Amino acid sequence: MNPKLLLNLALGILAAIGGFVDIGDLVFNTAAGATFGYQLMWVIPIGVLGIIVYSEMCGRVAAVSKKAVFDAVRERVGFKAGLGALVASEVVNLMTLAAELGGVAISLQLLSGLPYRVLLVFAIVGLALVLWIVKLEWMERIFGYGGLCMLVFAVAAVKLGPNWAQFGKGLIPHISQNNPWLYLYFAIGLLGAAMTPYEVYFYSSGGVEDRWTPKDLGLNRANAIVGYSLGGLLSLALMIVGAAVFLRHGINPEHLGTIALGAEQPLGKIGLLFAIVGILFAVGGASIDTVFSGAYNLAQFLGWEWGRYRNAAGAPRFFLTWIVLLVCALGIVMTGVDPVMLTEYAVIFSAVALPLTYIPILLVANDRDYMGANTNGPLANTLGMIYLVLIMVIAIAAVPLMIITNVGQN
Amino acid sequence: MVAVVLAGCNGGTVDRHALTNDAATIDSINCEAWLLSGAVARNRVTTYYAREQAEELAVQAGNFANALAHRATAAGLEPRVRAKANDASSLASRLWRLHDRPTDRDGARSLAAAFKRAGSCS
Repeated sequence: MNPKLLLNLALGILAAIGGFVDIGDLVFNTAAGATFGYQLMWVIPIGVLGIIVYSEMCGRVAAVSKKAVFDAVRERVGFKAGLGALVASEVVNLMTLAAELGGVAISLQLLSGLPYRVLLVFAIVGLALVLWIVKLEWMERIFGYGGLCMLVFAVAAVKLGPNWAQFGKGLIPHISQNNPWLYLYFAIGLLGAAMTPYEVYFYSSGGVEDRWTPKDLGLNRANAIVGYSLGGLLSLALMIVGAAVFLRHGINPEHLGTIALGAEQPLGKIGLLFAIVGILFAVGGASIDTVFSGAYNLAQFLGWEWGRYRNAAGAPRFFLTWIVLLVCALGIVMTGVDPVMLTEYAVIFSAVALPLTYIPILLVANDRDYMGANTNGPLANTLGMIYLVLIMVIAIAAVPLMIITNVGQN
Repeated sequence: MVAVVLAGCNGGTVDRHALTNDAATIDSINCEAWLLSGAVARNRVTTYYAREQAEELAVQAGNFANALAHRATAAGLEPRVRAKANDASSLASRLWRLHDRPTDRDGARSLAAAFKRAGSCS
């Protein structure tokens, strides 16, 4: 393959592993498999297609108009409505960032045996150094390719010998007769985790940072399809492992370390190590996505200079924002809050905030003043509208289902 | 915030439904501990992983033991609730043993049998 194309695809792979498969996907996919076996498989392709549709859309907006999501939100929906979207996105981003950082510290703890809080500080300082010193393209390579260790779950899933007949049945949408509220809670959690808003913020801002032009629309499409499909395959693998290991033995995986045990069962110590390292890179990459997304959003909304390709003197408020976000996230996890529980709340609240992110994207992608000849075609609009209706339903149902099911504990 | 509070309310009186849920969670911890100690016995996990994961589970089991020993119970359920508290306490003690000796393969083998029995794991 052309080395330049391979390099550029790293952006998509980072978004997939570090963004699609983050702590939310790890928790919800494994728990869904452990609770309902293969029954919720159908949700994953729906979520993957949704994130592909909207990422492609906002990547196209970035390539054509040179505007990332919140630039466009501010211009298209105005200050007041945009402010609502900004506040919602920043709250969810911060919760997600805190959960991801907790995940980084837990992974390091499982590898080193050092105290959790010490590792939290180590993780924050390490991440800040990476964000400050390492070039964006190297971050993409380090976390994107390191996160590929997560493929151990795909190997584990195959080695566990899943029940392919039940797998096939699980791909057909249906409602479980056994505990339907809990089933719906997991369905919404899976969709919320798959379509987390920070993914598109990071994706579109990355497109602007990489100076995409209309010539890069093919690359944009390839990134979205290849990257998120890979993420989707890993989600399926995690659910299979959840069903084949944890459901089979009556285990409710409530700890991040338990998920790694799912790879140990078929593959032994090497599987366990690959799983922990993969989780470390996946949640580390997602930490970068979320912290940058938070800074991107604020800077774009307020019209500040922004971008990782600028130095601190060139975009001081952007740099200050991500430093403040890291410190706030450290404060949250230092309270001792369980990162897995925090993840569940973050995913459900991000489901509530989904329309605030995706409606403006759809509006801008249909605006000829911005997009010229590259406005949405009939396929993008049809899929966009279908997903918009789905997103609205999810946003309305998420919190009631969280309450009814006691955050999935039932 | 209201949603978080409403969803997170998990204290109060232990009724039949709560007892069933708590018993299922204790079984789940037992079964995970069975897999973990079995992996230790066969040298399939690292020492750090065994120690840290055993500690996570021990803390969780200990919290259950403490809560079930002290929370108010619905009429007629107290003996069963306190028995579950004892089960959770024994589970926590075994997990702390695994935590303290994560390289003791023979010890892990006997612990695995105890976890499997206690959790009725399959």
